[in-house]
Parts: sequence; structure tokens; C-alpha cells
Amino acid sequence: MALSPPFIALHNLRKQYIEGDQQRIIFADLSLDIGRGEFVALLGQSGSGKSTLLNLLGGIDLPDAGQIRISDRMLTALSEVERTRFRRRHIGFVFQFFNLIPTLTVAENLLLPLELNGLTSPEQCDRALELLDQVGLGNRRASFPERLSGGEQQRLALARALVHGPWLLLADEPTGNLDAATGEHILELLLTLHRQAETTMVMVTHSQAVAARADRILVLESGQIRELAR
Amino acid sequence: MTPLLWRALLRHPLRHPWQLGLAILGIALGVAVVLAVDLANASARRSFDLAMNRLTGHATHRLVGGPQGVPEAVYVQLRLERGLRQVAPVVTGTLPRADQPGQLFQILGIDPFAEAPFRDPAADVTGSNFDLRALLLRPDAALLPASLGEQVTLRRGEQRFTLQRAGTLNGPELDSLIITDISTAQTLLGHTGWLSHIDLILPEGTTGETLAAELRAGLPPELRLEQPAQRNQATVDLSAAFSLNLTAMSLLALVVGLFLIYNAISFSVVQRRALLGMLRALGVSRQELLLGILGEALLLGVAGTLLGGLLGLWLGSGLVHLVTRTINDLYYVLSVREFFIDPWSLAKGAALGLLATLVAAWLPAREAAAVPPGLALSRAHLESRWRAALPRLVLTGLALLGSGGVILGFSHALLPGFVGLFLLILGCALLTPPAVVGLVRFNRPLAARLGLLARMANRDVARHLSRTGIAVAALMVAFATTVGVGVMVDSFRGGVVIWINELLNADLYIAPPAIEDGGGSETVEPAALATLRETPGVAAVSTYRRLVVDLNGRPVQVMAVDLAPASRAGYHLISGDPATAWRAFQTGEAILISEPLAHRRGLRAGDALDLPTDRGLRRFAIAGVFLDYGSEHGRILLHRSGYERDWHEPTVGSMAAFAAPGENLATLRERLQDRLGPIQPLLIRSNRDIQSRTLEIFDRTFTITNVLRLLAILVAVVGVLSALLALHLERAREFAVLRATGMTAGEIGGLVSLQTGFMGAAAGLLALPTGLLLAAVLIFVINQRAFGWSLPFQVDPMLLLETLVLAIFAALLAGLYPIWRMARARPADALRTE
Repeated sequence: MALSPPFIALHNLRKQYIEGDQQRIIFADLSLDIGRGEFVALLGQSGSGKSTLLNLLGGIDLPDAGQIRISDRMLTALSEVERTRFRRRHIGFVFQFFNLIPTLTVAENLLLPLELNGLTSPEQCDRALELLDQVGLGNRRASFPERLSGGEQQRLALARALVHGPWLLLADEPTGNLDAATGEHILELLLTLHRQAETTMVMVTHSQAVAARADRILVLESGQIRELAR
Repeated sequence: MTPLLWRALLRHPLRHPWQLGLAILGIALGVAVVLAVDLANASARRSFDLAMNRLTGHATHRLVGGPQGVPEAVYVQLRLERGLRQVAPVVTGTLPRADQPGQLFQILGIDPFAEAPFRDPAADVTGSNFDLRALLLRPDAALLPASLGEQVTLRRGEQRFTLQRAGTLNGPELDSLIITDISTAQTLLGHTGWLSHIDLILPEGTTGETLAAELRAGLPPELRLEQPAQRNQATVDLSAAFSLNLTAMSLLALVVGLFLIYNAISFSVVQRRALLGMLRALGVSRQELLLGILGEALLLGVAGTLLGGLLGLWLGSGLVHLVTRTINDLYYVLSVREFFIDPWSLAKGAALGLLATLVAAWLPAREAAAVPPGLALSRAHLESRWRAALPRLVLTGLALLGSGGVILGFSHALLPGFVGLFLLILGCALLTPPAVVGLVRFNRPLAARLGLLARMANRDVARHLSRTGIAVAALMVAFATTVGVGVMVDSFRGGVVIWINELLNADLYIAPPAIEDGGGSETVEPAALATLRETPGVAAVSTYRRLVVDLNGRPVQVMAVDLAPASRAGYHLISGDPATAWRAFQTGEAILISEPLAHRRGLRAGDALDLPTDRGLRRFAIAGVFLDYGSEHGRILLHRSGYERDWHEPTVGSMAAFAAPGENLATLRERLQDRLGPIQPLLIRSNRDIQSRTLEIFDRTFTITNVLRLLAILVAVVGVLSALLALHLERAREFAVLRATGMTAGEIGGLVSLQTGFMGAAAGLLALPTGLLLAAVLIFVINQRAFGWSLPFQVDPMLLLETLVLAIFAALLAGLYPIWRMARARPADALRTE
């Protein structure tokens, strides 16, 4: 029986930054495969390149060398416009600082990815609003983000990241800015939604406890990926 | 662009009403100034056209004569001997109202029976009360404008004439017109026996041309047959230069407005960099962001243009009076009671406002589109990009200065002159941010000595260059305009003062009173001249006679003079050797021409000019070119001997007397009044009297220029207010941290004041060289090309000092509101909400 190809394949990635006269190499030759529906936790010290890797996976940034393939799309071969369209349709982001659109209400924030993708039928909107109920914000639809607590904002960010059914959810320390109890609640919710949607998820975290809930734990150090045994 | 995306972008300005309001106000002020000037010009132009069309009517040709006009007998000849039927005599001139000497009326004397094919009285005159019989038979009957009462008293010299209403002239463009019968007009204007001109309607095509040729062939040399359109066009061309100057001034206000729009949009982009980054992360494309920001700018532009349109209408209705007053002083009698709203002006204003907004928003919109997804673009990143762009700014600025210089150097027309001027301003504006950085470095040792607050304030200006650079540039352009126009007006005034002091160097000037009311046809009795020469205490006498000749459709003054040697010294020759020139001039064969005439016709000493005289066209050698600000139409100085030779009935219009050494002027004046009074009523004025009257008119002419200068400053103050408000609001967290670490609200206020004061000082300092450059272009290029005047370059140090103080004051004033807001803000809120 032939092995199915990995859902995400990173092949010989190189990324470096120029800082003044210095060249700082983030990855020299990084390769990684991630299966469909997997939850991968990414650990590493500050500055190890975790967020850079996330940006590369999201098509926000490009490697200096190497290839990134997601499903059947070679991300590194796409133009900026194509990457933007790909991200719009297939990627969901959750950030540490929520990054909601302050000028849109809770409901509007949630519906924005659908609208950007032209998914604005009444059924799709209703389903989206059900998701809002699911994250406990059904009664805050008309509020602006600044009126929400940190936990509520992150719940809305989770819903927004998943509302358009992305292939890949990228989470950059989603509980890093929350207290322990709220953080735990958000993590539970994230895992529930991830399982429901069968979305592949890559999460950057500093927390071993959070990482312990993942299918795989990867550590990024000295430009190389090391997988921790479970 | 989806509706939610629009909402996400557009709700930002709505959440910052102060910023939104100031951005709209910036656009509105820029549009308002341009629109107001355009509407005022259009109103004046339309009134002129209407008045001219009403006066010229359907005449195809006009028969004109020498200084006195056309003898009445010619009209009779045309009608009886040549059998022409469509011929109408006209007597026209200007007289002031007796009780309001500033209000001038154009008197139009007509023959009501000959008028019908020319001017349609029914269109202008209220039919029900038009008393033709009275107009013909009563010597005091007149058709008066609706704005006057039942009678009006006019003045010509010492004489008063009261006219009674025999009909009403309708239409605001006829507000300064009085129509009378021919003989009444001749009495009013002292033209008995003479007509100003004769209007003719000749058939179209070859028949008309043949008839015109026949008429021309049979005319005595002092009469000419011309087409009225030529003369009207010449007058319009001259005032067009004045209008163009005003338009250019108003465009400067728009340039300042352009900076404000750039500043406002650019700030709103920087303020939203996180939001833009988030949208990019969600998959919003660059093009969508570009469109979004441009769309937002367009909405701002629409709001600003609408508000600017209303402001412009209000401002224009005020400016039209200033424009009209200047036109009355310089060109022709014009009454603009009706403020005409020209749809073309409105369309131009709207297009300019929207276009300026889009142009100014283009760079910030591109900046917005370039925001990387996520949060990669930090404020520090933006500032470092700005600093990295400084060398490019310097190069572009220098390139613009260079191209401006090349255009100014290699062109000769007025329009390229303005293009060059605008390129220079833009170049200087681009050099402003790098210059600000230089000033900050220069200021560092002083700031270090003044303490921590001064150090922070100084450093902050360079650290927030993306904001402060634009604000300083906007303020700099506005104040440079002030300096430039101020120096130009001062130089002009200085030139006029020197010119008039030198020219009017006789002690007393004697003329018939009507000469001051524009009635140049009154002359001095020969006996009066003889008496003047014989009066004890009079050392020398100069005589003058002003004629107007037509040179290629332009009315040019010929001054026939017999100058005392001292009077000759008052003419400053700028072309031709003075000794040779005066020698040739004395023969009456050569003339001296004024600089505007030489400039317009490309003439200089050694050339020749054909003048229409009473003995036909005669060629005069040009002995020299003299400096003259008396008429932009041009003036010609001809020796009296030439005048006596080539014109019939030579007369003297006015005289100048030089007192003998040691003679008391007041005594001499009384003596002259006693001796000349019995011969003829004459006005005797001292040279100082005439000088002050001339300068009064000069100052009135430039009132509108000063109004536009003030408006440009107002636009700049709004700009600085908006820039500072935006900057300080953005720094709320930084200030909150400073407050949290123990800085008082007063100290923060001091910091902001120091910073704004520094920005004002930088703008003021940079405005000085830019303004002087602007002044040099206005003086040596624009005025020279528009009017043909060469002006001295005079800089009043007080003007420069005032500008500097005003710039600092404007900046400090603009900083007050941000300081007040910061003093009221709770640091905890700022720390929490960031």
C-alpha cells in the first residue's frame, strides 16, 4: 500500500535576516512534514524562529530557499496575490493579542472572513452565528471588541479563525495573554473546535502543559526542528 | 471590497472626530480659497462682458479720433453725405458722484433715434416709466440705475450736475452706468461739439469690407475705423494677468491644503497599521487596502469639497468686492453687485479638491497596501523607513528645484513661470524634512544645556519625522508664501515710492479739477500757463498733455511734455544712453517709451514705433526706455514740439512748477491761487499730496493679496493643529508612561510646547530662504512677464522677524488643544487601552 503524501511538507527551508552588517540565520535547512488533522505544538526559546515559521506556513512571509507545500498547493511558488487568496480561503490565525478589528462589532468580526471569501448565504451566516453561540458570545453580537474581556476577545478570535472552515489553523501563543483559568478554558475550546472541524493546527506555545495536549511536540532550536518523544 | 471591509476602514475616522474634522477642514479651506478667487474673477469677468456687450451692442465698427474724440460734424457727414443709416453717435466718460467721490459712473450719451439697431433699450430700461420725450428735451434727464434714487448729483471739477430719473436701467451689471441724450453727456463731460466715437453697423461679408475700406480711405488722418472687439479684448487681456496672479495665489493655499490632506491620510494609515496588518493576515489583498484607503480619502475629499464649496461661495462674495475695487483702480469702471456663481468654477473647484485629495492620499494609501500581514510594521520601522528615505527626498527636492530653475530660465511666458514657481516650492517642501533633521542636530548642544525636557522635545521632532516633517513642510510653505508675497509687495511699494518721488519732483502740480476724476479732456488755458511762467517765485515749469492712442488694439498713453531739466531727472532710463536719449527726445522726432510697453512689444532704444497722429501714422525713433509703474498698458513720452507738429490744436493738460530756491511753498501756492484763479479754476497740489494719493490706491490694490496671505496662514495653522493633535494622540501611551514615572501634566505641557515651538521655529526659519526665493521669482519672473515691470528687491527685516514670530506663535497655538487634552487624560486609561 502506497503511503499518502503529508498534508504539509516543508522542504529544506532557509530563512535569514540582515541586522545591520550582521546576517542572522533563522533556519539553515529545515524540513518538516505534518499530517492532515494533526495538532502540532511548536516550542522554542524567544527568537528561535517559531513565529517566523508560522508566518511562512501562513504565506505571510517567504523563505529565502526551500519549498512549502500545503495539500496540493506549492505555497512558495505562488505570487503575493495568490498567497493572499490562499490565506484568505484556507488559513485561520489566532494571535496572542487577539487582533480583532476594533472598528467592527463582534458579529461583524466573525463574518468578515466569510464575506472576504464570498460565503455570505443566509445559511452560512446562520452557521457562523451558531459558532458565536458555541463560544459563548451569542449575546454580545453588537458589542465592539474593546467592550469584551481578554477571554471573550480570544474566544471571538478563535471563532473568527475557524468560521470559514480553513485547512490550517495557526495559533501564536493563544493563551499567552490570559490568566491560567481563562487560558485553560480557551485551550479546551480550541481543541474542541479543532476536533469538530478536523482542521490541522500548528500552535506556538511556551507552555509544556499546553504542548502536552498536542499530537506532536516539536522544538525549534538552533535553526533545527527536534521532535519530542511522547 | 466587501461591505464589512469598508466598515472596518471607515469607522476609524468616525471614531476620531477631531482628526476627521481637521482633515475635512484642511481640504475645505484649500478648496474654498481657490473657488472663492475663481468665482470672484468669474463674476468680475462676466459683469465686464455683460456691460461691454450692452454698451457695444451690435456695432460692427467704431469710428474713433484723437484726444478730443470725433468732431460732431463727422456724424452728420456720415448720415447725410455717405447716406449711412446704421450709425450712432456716442459720448462717453467717467464722473464721480458728488457726495461719494469714490463711486464712479460711466456716462453714456446716445441719440435715442439712432440707437435702435445698436443697443436694445427695452432690454435695459423699464418700459413703463421710460420717458423718451424727457430724455430728449430735458437737459437733466437721464436713465439711472435701479440702485439710485430719483436723482443723482455728479461732479466734474468744481461743477455739480444733478440728473433726474427719466427711466430705470435694470441689471446689476449696469449699476455704474448712466444713459443720457448726446447733448446732456457733452455738457456733463465738457465735450461740447465732440463725440467719443461713432458706432456703425456695416453689412457682413465683402460688401461690408469694401464699405469699410472706402470709409477708411476717405477719413482724415486723425480718425480711425476699428472693430470694437479689439479694444475690449485688450482690456480683458490686461486684467487677465491680474486674475492669473490671484489664481496662482489661491493655488498656493491649495498646495498647503495638499500637505494637510497627505498628513491626515498618512496619519490615519500609521494609526491603523495594526488593523491593516490584521486585515492582511485575514487575506485582504494589497489592492483592496489601496482601494479602501483611496476610497476613504475620496469620501473625505467629497466632504471637504462640499464644505469648501460653501465656504468658497461665502468667501467669494466678499472677495468679489476687493477684486472689483482693484479692477476699478487699475483697469476700468466695473460694478459687480451680482455675485455670479459660475458652474464651471464650481466644477473646477470640486475637481481640484477631489483630485488634490487623491494625489495627496496616493502615497499613504500605497504605504497602507505595503503593510505586511500581521504586526510586522512597527512605528519604529516606519520612522526608520522615513529616515532611510531622506537621501531620496534630498535628491528629489534638488531635482525639482533644478527643473523649476530650468523652466524659469528657458521660458518667456507667464504660465511656465508659474509652473517653475510651483516646482521650486515643491522642491523646498521636500527638502524640509531633511532640513528639520539637520536643525535638530544643530540644536542638540543648546537643548542639552536647557535640560531633559528640551533634550526630549528636540529629539522627538526628529524621532517622529514621518509626522513632524510634513507638518513643518506645510507650515513652511504657508509662511514662505507670506514672506514671498510680502517681499514682493514691499519691493513693489518701495519701487513705486522711489519712482513717484523721483518722478514728481516738482514742488506744485496744477491741473483742471476734472483731471482727478478721470476727465483728461479738460485743458489748461494758455493764459494760465503764461501767468504761471511769469509768477515770481516760480523757477521752472513743466507741461503735460495726456493723449490715448491705439496701438494694435491696446490703449496706450502718450504724454506730450515740455520738461524742465529737473523734471527730466525724474525719469530713470533703463535702456539707451541718457545724454543721447534726451538730446534726441528734445527734437520731437524721438520718443521715450515705458518699460511695460517695451517689454510687451519687444522694443528697446534704437528701435522705432509707429504712432497714429492727427496727421496720420508717423514713425518715431525710440531714444530710450524709462522705468514706469504708472500704467501696465504702457506710456510714451513725446516732446511737446513733436505733439505740436503732429496733432491739431495742441493743448496743455497739467503743469508742474519748481519753486525758486528759498521760496516758501505755502506762500507760492497762495500766490498762484490768487493769480490763476481769475483765469481758470485750477487745482494746485503739492507733490506729497499726489504721492500719498497714489500710494493709497496702491495699498488698496494689494488688500486682496493680503487677504489671500492670511488665508494661506490659516490653512497652515489648521494643518499644524491637525498634525500635532494626531501626533500627540498617538503618543498618549508614551505620555502616560512619563506621567506614571512622575512627570506632571504641566511638565508634559512644557514638553509639548517646546516641541511645537521648535517645529514652528523650524518652519519659520526654513520659510525665510524659501520665501525670499519665491519673492525673487515673483519679482523678476512673474511680475516681469505679467506686467513688464522690473521691481527692486527690497527686504524689510521686520517682515522676516514677524514671520518667524508668527510661525512660532501659530505652532504654539496649535499645540494648546493637544496639551489641554493630555492634561485632562488619565494616564491609567492610556496605559490600559493601548
